[in-house]
Amino acid sequence: MSGDSSVVEGRSLLEAVRGIVADVLMVPRDSVHADSALVADLGAESIDFLDLTFRLEEILGKKIPTARWDAFVTERLPGADLSRAITTAVVVEFAERERDRAAGTAPAST
Amino acid sequence: MRERVAITGIGVVTPIGVGRAEFMAALREGRSGAGPITAFDCEGFDTRIAAEVDDTHFDAGAYVEPRKMVKHMSRSARFAVAAAAMARRDSALASGDADPYRIAVSLGAGGMGPVDLDLLAAQATAAIISARGSDSDDLDVPAFARVFRERTNPITMLRGLPNLAAAHVAIQQDARGPNNTITTACSAGTQAIGEGMRAIQRGDADVVLAGGTDAMINPVGVLGFSMLGTLSRRNDQPARASRPFDVERDGFVIGEGAAMLVLERESCARARGARVFAELAGYGCTCDAYRITDERPDAEAAVRAMQRCLEDAGLTPADVAYINAHGTGTQMNDATETRAVKALFGRPDRIPPMSSTKSMIGHLLAAAGAVELAATVLALYAGFLPPTINYDSPDPACDLDCVPNTARAARADTALSNSFGFGGQNACLVIRRW
Repeated sequence: MSGDSSVVEGRSLLEAVRGIVADVLMVPRDSVHADSALVADLGAESIDFLDLTFRLEEILGKKIPTARWDAFVTERLPGADLSRAITTAVVVEFAERERDRAAGTAPAST
Repeated sequence: MRERVAITGIGVVTPIGVGRAEFMAALREGRSGAGPITAFDCEGFDTRIAAEVDDTHFDAGAYVEPRKMVKHMSRSARFAVAAAAMARRDSALASGDADPYRIAVSLGAGGMGPVDLDLLAAQATAAIISARGSDSDDLDVPAFARVFRERTNPITMLRGLPNLAAAHVAIQQDARGPNNTITTACSAGTQAIGEGMRAIQRGDADVVLAGGTDAMINPVGVLGFSMLGTLSRRNDQPARASRPFDVERDGFVIGEGAAMLVLERESCARARGARVFAELAGYGCTCDAYRITDERPDAEAAVRAMQRCLEDAGLTPADVAYINAHGTGTQMNDATETRAVKALFGRPDRIPPMSSTKSMIGHLLAAAGAVELAATVLALYAGFLPPTINYDSPDPACDLDCVPNTARAARADTALSNSFGFGGQNACLVIRRW
């Protein structure tokens, strides 16, 4: 899959992620803010992050290896209470990182 | 003496009605739930009819909290969760009325093949793409895996586990006691209710959410049963296709849905002044141990299941006022079941009316026994016998009173419900007026 046309940038990426979070957790879009905690505020559980990653793949036009999200969280939020620390903004950061990988600025290793 | 088990709540999602009031009205009126298949394009199928749950009339999300749990549920899990929520509400069992660790779930479930169209689509697409350019029927597994991984949302895999429907019921109802799934095909719902009763009798639970659920109206389910020669092909007359005991019967109409009952220890029901629909009085099960789909010609194992059920309740055949038949509408089942009932009762004049509600509801497979027990309980409670509709031409091999075509007002104090599954599993339940 190479999906340059579907690569989303900047503010539109935040909007796209808000939409995905709302779809995945079946909550109203306007209840999803940049600082909403996905678990504590919006009711996510671990398998919802698999769904989230799958849907990010669709907007980024790129396969994201399963382990990548867990590795990102471990590196980005060491020792944090993940039920509160994983916010929409953190997912956006992850999506940006994966997008840049897709654009060739990071090695697309699995 | 062991404590009695009360049925204090009933929830149903069926092709003839969602909720017990609508369901019971349809049973009384003799309404058919069958129609042309709308779930998928069935052009070219030998059987193009089914008894579907009307999705314009049923929203699983209304029974689920938080709403996102719905997407993790297979269609059959959605039916079970909705039926359980209705049954719980019907029973008025509040969260403080029972210790959550004393509330069990016993569910008949587990069909054949992929559970949902999206999973089937992912598997089929991957198989087709990976086979492209090859004349071989063998699957190119690495190619399949590449395509499947790319196109399949991982969460769909969890929907396929047969035990997940019961888990979802537990999550929604905070039922933290024993949680069991029974997968004996067409007997599953009946066995799940019987085993649920046993959980109360042996002291493992005070309340059991027991029943069955199934949703096999998908291409693999319909093709599968059709290729086995078990489905009616009366495609031009769907509402007339399910005709148990009629000489022109040509197979069952596949249905979908769920029924859940709240079973409750007598002392628990009395302590909170619960309304009781009926006593669940006995349960018996056996296995033919004979052939895969053929029944024992002498029906001995089926007879023994009914005998055990009555003995379990301290009853004799003479006490039985109504039988809800397995009555699938296949040539073999209905004739064998008739022989079994004759053998049980001995003399023809002692055999009570025996109708098949599958004539209206269709065959709900793993949910069938539960939906039929719900029908039997409601009929006994309200004082009528549900009919066998579409009964036009008698079959000498099925010469019992099948309550033909119209419901009959009758006060039955004791009723038996039969289920006989592929694989030879026979299960019976008996209920008694409370």
